Amino acid sequence: MNDQSLKILKLFGLAIAGIGLLLILLSPFIGESLTPGSLWWIEPVAYIGSGVFVLGSVAAFIGFQVIARRTKALTGDRTRTWSEVTQDYFDTFAHDMGRPLRRILGKQREARALLNETGKVTPHMVAELLDEIENQAPNFRLMIENVRVLVDLEDDTAAPAIDPVDAAAIVRNVSDRYTPIARERGLELVWWSDPIEFGLIYGDGPALDHVITNLVDNAAKFAQGHVEIQLTRTDSDFFVRVWDDGAGIAESHLAHVFDRGWTPELSARSEKQSSGLGLFIAISLTERCGGQLMVESEAANVSGPDGHSTTFTLSLPLDNRPSER
Amino acid sequence: MTSKSFGGGQKILVVDDEHMSDLMRSVLRRLETDGFKPIVVAPEGPHLTGDDYETQALFSMEAERPSAILLDVRFGEYDSDRFKGLSILKKIVERDSSMPVLMFTQYTQGPYRDTAVNASLTVSASVDFIDKLASPEEVVLRLRRLIGSAPETIKIGSVFEIDAANAAVYVIENGRRDLIREIQGMKLEILNELAAAMYRSEGELVPFSRLERFSDGEDSRASLRVRIRELKVSLGKAVSREFGANELIINVRNRGYRLVNPTN
Repeated sequence: MNDQSLKILKLFGLAIAGIGLLLILLSPFIGESLTPGSLWWIEPVAYIGSGVFVLGSVAAFIGFQVIARRTKALTGDRTRTWSEVTQDYFDTFAHDMGRPLRRILGKQREARALLNETGKVTPHMVAELLDEIENQAPNFRLMIENVRVLVDLEDDTAAPAIDPVDAAAIVRNVSDRYTPIARERGLELVWWSDPIEFGLIYGDGPALDHVITNLVDNAAKFAQGHVEIQLTRTDSDFFVRVWDDGAGIAESHLAHVFDRGWTPELSARSEKQSSGLGLFIAISLTERCGGQLMVESEAANVSGPDGHSTTFTLSLPLDNRPSER
Repeated sequence: MTSKSFGGGQKILVVDDEHMSDLMRSVLRRLETDGFKPIVVAPEGPHLTGDDYETQALFSMEAERPSAILLDVRFGEYDSDRFKGLSILKKIVERDSSMPVLMFTQYTQGPYRDTAVNASLTVSASVDFIDKLASPEEVVLRLRRLIGSAPETIKIGSVFEIDAANAAVYVIENGRRDLIREIQGMKLEILNELAAAMYRSEGELVPFSRLERFSDGEDSRASLRVRIRELKVSLGKAVSREFGANELIINVRNRGYRLVNPTN
């Protein structure tokens, strides 16, 4: 069917629908004039009118739809992918979820500033409450980001980005984010890169940021005094090593740390402290980017009083660009 | 606790329709305490849309010549203004591609981040993204790095000041600056290196491998240890106190050293 006949179909349909509508409206009068004094004729006219209206509407609708679809195809407007649709919903959701938190956090920071200005000694409970509110903010950020990445990982067609990325800047940003939390928990968080001028890598910056964030978040949960982030490189790969001096992971548990939903509390049958998603997401993202994530741990009861620690080592290619040949 | 006056009166243009919110007020306050001069874009009128902010922001950019711009993504609750910040960003970069812009956004990932990047990030543009929930300290740290200019002097707490260009370390007492003559040469180089790392980020330590070039002898690690000890003694003498193992310059688990602000 060409465009001209489609337009005629559309207009014809509209006209028929209009006649049908007119018939329905006029049925009392037409019917009455046909059989004066009796309402018997009203109904058939109305029925016929409705039928004609529906037929006309359907024709016009088909005309509209086909034309609209053709224009869409011509202008190149493609249907959005499932991932884009979910990400869109997710953005709205994350923004709206964040609203109450932004308000609470804002009030908390204002209260803190006011207390600092007046120089009053804050009761212990109040100070603790303010700290708790402040420190839950990064948790919330990580949680929202984790769910977003989880949705994203479901999309098999999505490929990791390959951009020039300042890996040291990413480690520094994560360190900055977790330094206040570490301080609050009495931990010392340090990082360094070797060499100091680390240079650029080619890879997925947001993914790298997210993997390191999850590793550091995990380390800060279990560390007893120290968390270290170390960035190093060879000629072909770079490594991010996240070390903590926590109690360590028993050998029987090591195989499960990357399982979705696994948390150490699960085995101890106590209240869950975390979602168990962080490390699962970390390893899934790493593998998508063509890298590896490994864990080594020395549990507390194995190697004496102060030998316990856990190390996660992330390794990724320095240059993830496809080769020219 | 810490006294950092790094900003040096640099102007920061703040473009956010929620600039009156508590969250933004704490950011503005932090900018001021760190020596920046925030300039808030606040168009007037009864029904403000993203366009009003755009016009005013571009005007202020010309008029005020800020050192950096702090820009939100969302303006108002109109769906059409959902990504208004991105189009403002684009116009800013078109006008001045070297203008550092820090964007408040939750789109650190996903298609909108790509939109933002594609829309604005030409090779030379210096644009960074930060979550709106980030602490004011984090915002200022990022902004400082984005602006990129190293300060002429770095303060350690409110007690010491390092002037790298003039190779001098001062002790500050009652507003007076006194030169610490003992700290020169290698010791000053070490202190510079440590202070620069502290300035970049609080948690950054300087690994031994980096510092050992400022020491000599067969056992460079040992001679480095001696230099650090002498440095701490010299700094301590200037303020008539002794800095312990966990003060001022700390050896972190035999990985390297880092500088921390002295406690009072």
